[in-house]
Amino acid sequence: MKTIGLISANYGSTEFGELLQNRTLASLPYGGRYRLIDFALSNMANAGITTVGVIAPVNSGSLLDHIGVGNPWSLGRKRGGLFVMPGSVYGMQKSGSRFLMRDLLKCERLFYKDDADFVIMSGSTDVWNIDFEPLIKAHAESGKSVTMVYKKVARGEEFRGYFLDINENGDVVGINNESFGWSNYFADCFIINRSYAMDFLNWYSALEYKDMIEIMQENLGTINIGSFEFRGYLGKIKNPWEFLKVNQAMTDYDIRNEVFCNPERMIYTKAQDEAPVFHYQNCDVRNSVISAGCVIEGRVENSIIFRSCHIAKDAVVRNSVIMMHGTIGEGAVLDNVIADKYVTINPGVKIYGGEREPVIIGKNATI
Amino acid sequence: MKKKKMLAMLLAGGQGSRLYDLTTSIAKPAVSFGGKYRIIDFGLSNCVNSGIDTVGILVQYKPLVLNRYVGTGESWDMAVADGGVHILPPYASSTGGEWYEGTADAIYHNIDFIDMYSPENVLILSGDHIYKMNYNLMLNEHEANNSDLTVSVIEVPWEEASRFGIMTADEQGNIVKFTEKPAEPDSNLASMGIYIFKWDTLRRALLEDHENKESSHDFGKDLIPKLLGEGKKLSVYRFSGYWRDVGTVQSYYDSQMDLMDDVDSINVFSGDMKVFSNSNVYPPQYIGREANIKNSLVCNGCTVYGSVSHSILGSGAVVGFGTVIEDSIVLPNAIIGRNCKIRKAIINEGAVVDDNTEIGDPENGVVVFGQTKLSI
Repeated sequence: MKTIGLISANYGSTEFGELLQNRTLASLPYGGRYRLIDFALSNMANAGITTVGVIAPVNSGSLLDHIGVGNPWSLGRKRGGLFVMPGSVYGMQKSGSRFLMRDLLKCERLFYKDDADFVIMSGSTDVWNIDFEPLIKAHAESGKSVTMVYKKVARGEEFRGYFLDINENGDVVGINNESFGWSNYFADCFIINRSYAMDFLNWYSALEYKDMIEIMQENLGTINIGSFEFRGYLGKIKNPWEFLKVNQAMTDYDIRNEVFCNPERMIYTKAQDEAPVFHYQNCDVRNSVISAGCVIEGRVENSIIFRSCHIAKDAVVRNSVIMMHGTIGEGAVLDNVIADKYVTINPGVKIYGGEREPVIIGKNATI
Repeated sequence: MKKKKMLAMLLAGGQGSRLYDLTTSIAKPAVSFGGKYRIIDFGLSNCVNSGIDTVGILVQYKPLVLNRYVGTGESWDMAVADGGVHILPPYASSTGGEWYEGTADAIYHNIDFIDMYSPENVLILSGDHIYKMNYNLMLNEHEANNSDLTVSVIEVPWEEASRFGIMTADEQGNIVKFTEKPAEPDSNLASMGIYIFKWDTLRRALLEDHENKESSHDFGKDLIPKLLGEGKKLSVYRFSGYWRDVGTVQSYYDSQMDLMDDVDSINVFSGDMKVFSNSNVYPPQYIGREANIKNSLVCNGCTVYGSVSHSILGSGAVVGFGTVIEDSIVLPNAIIGRNCKIRKAIINEGAVVDDNTEIGDPENGVVVFGQTKLSI
């Protein structure tokens, strides 16, 4: 069954301060060498999807620089390929919204032009590695108009977003952004029949200020919605603390193997061709993820170091994320810190963040 | 189509039999180097860094991995409309098929290919040397001298000169004599196997050499002496810098150790004359809680739980708990179990080392473990 993809990157968050000053959440660097949107793009590429639309936000510079014409995801093609569609200004203002009608109406072209049976619509900021093929199969067999992907979460887990009430037949009978004790967390991803999507946009075009999920919520009785459970790791990033936590998840053996080292479904990203990491004679690296091009002379613990960073001797980096081209001077100490690209920490400077409130150091800063 | 100033022909067909198990299933230029590179990366990167966008790669021995690796040339920015990389294997014609019988013969069989681009000059390269070089500087001298052939040379210690092809030049840099491995050298300028020919000179010489039944169709043995004999203008281009032939296991091992011991040797870290490669997308390396890494190069995709010192871990290599690796090179995707002891060894690409295995002995020569396992 032919399926195309549509990824929404037109949403942000106000909780990241300087980290999102000049970029959208979808292009936030993650995990040493990735950007968050790599997961949505790779999940689609790994399911053999060769036509993908991306709804770009107004401040799309860093996103476009990263995805280019989509070559890493085999989307630089003659038939199909990557379609970048400008989203509305509204996207960055309406908090929590992923699938704005206003944006979707603008990319109707993608739906009309193609002859695919289904469209997978996905957010762009979750860290996960999902096999879409069983989802497509289950949806095709179910005869539903829409199938929503969810993950069961434990009560009390700090998830924000939509929760689903699912009956014994697997039908979605309730959607709410309060959990109401429901444990089915909507993974910002669903599959929809292409013809139904076109009808939906037509019927509700007057509600362009709303989110597609909101409209589904209000019209549950008339829409035939099924559900599909995702049992793997789902890393949600909605604030700096979660960002730090989901980065550190890469040091977990099971998560690393499931998300990043599955030879059947690799996570692709733009290659930069950096040299191997040089571990110096007196360095000390523990439980950390280090990317190519780094030179490590000091100590690194429970941290994620992006490409081409230099950790000088006697420096200590602990429980931190240092993005590309960071320079940590001799004897400096960083604990619970998120340093953006091209940050320079002078020798001897010590910065301690709180466990749930990491210190954020903006791009190009020298401290 | 714009006429090309210079086109490069990269000789990548040799077996490299002195690398033994490293080349049983792949051609020498495709052998892993420095953890994430393959030997051919250095030649191809030099080309793109010198502004050469059209390269013919002559393949013959076990070319599958090499062909796949080079692909469209996109990784070296060579997926260009008017040029790019071309894999050139031996082919059949109406008079039958022939293998490449020598370096010059390989070029002879591709005269039609070079004519398609009708370049002014042709650069001949070997796909098995480790060095960074801007071929444009050599081309400038070649053109300033109006030479028919310019040979890049490097000064070697006098006592080692008898191991190389030696060029004897006059004060103006004109080659007056070429001797292959002279017993009593009268010059210490060794040929690096890098030649710039005027294409019309080379074309005619190849056609004549092909008719010569006595010839072994080799650039060093036949073509250069022939042109010298004809009184053509042959010049040397003096290169100074790091240059290694990695034709033996020992030289292959030594030049990789240079990456750590002498960082300025072939500075892969420097953004200047960057070395490009076509590596798979691996996640960044993970270094475990009990791991201990000293003075080593570790690539993306590695997972390290053991101790590693003065060694190189190639992309995707795994080092188990309790394992000690010293003075060794672990090629990409090799999996090393727990409690192993690996000293002064090269672990082949994709090889699996069972738990509690001991490999290598610091008192003896470098050993190569395992067969290359082909994978994507």
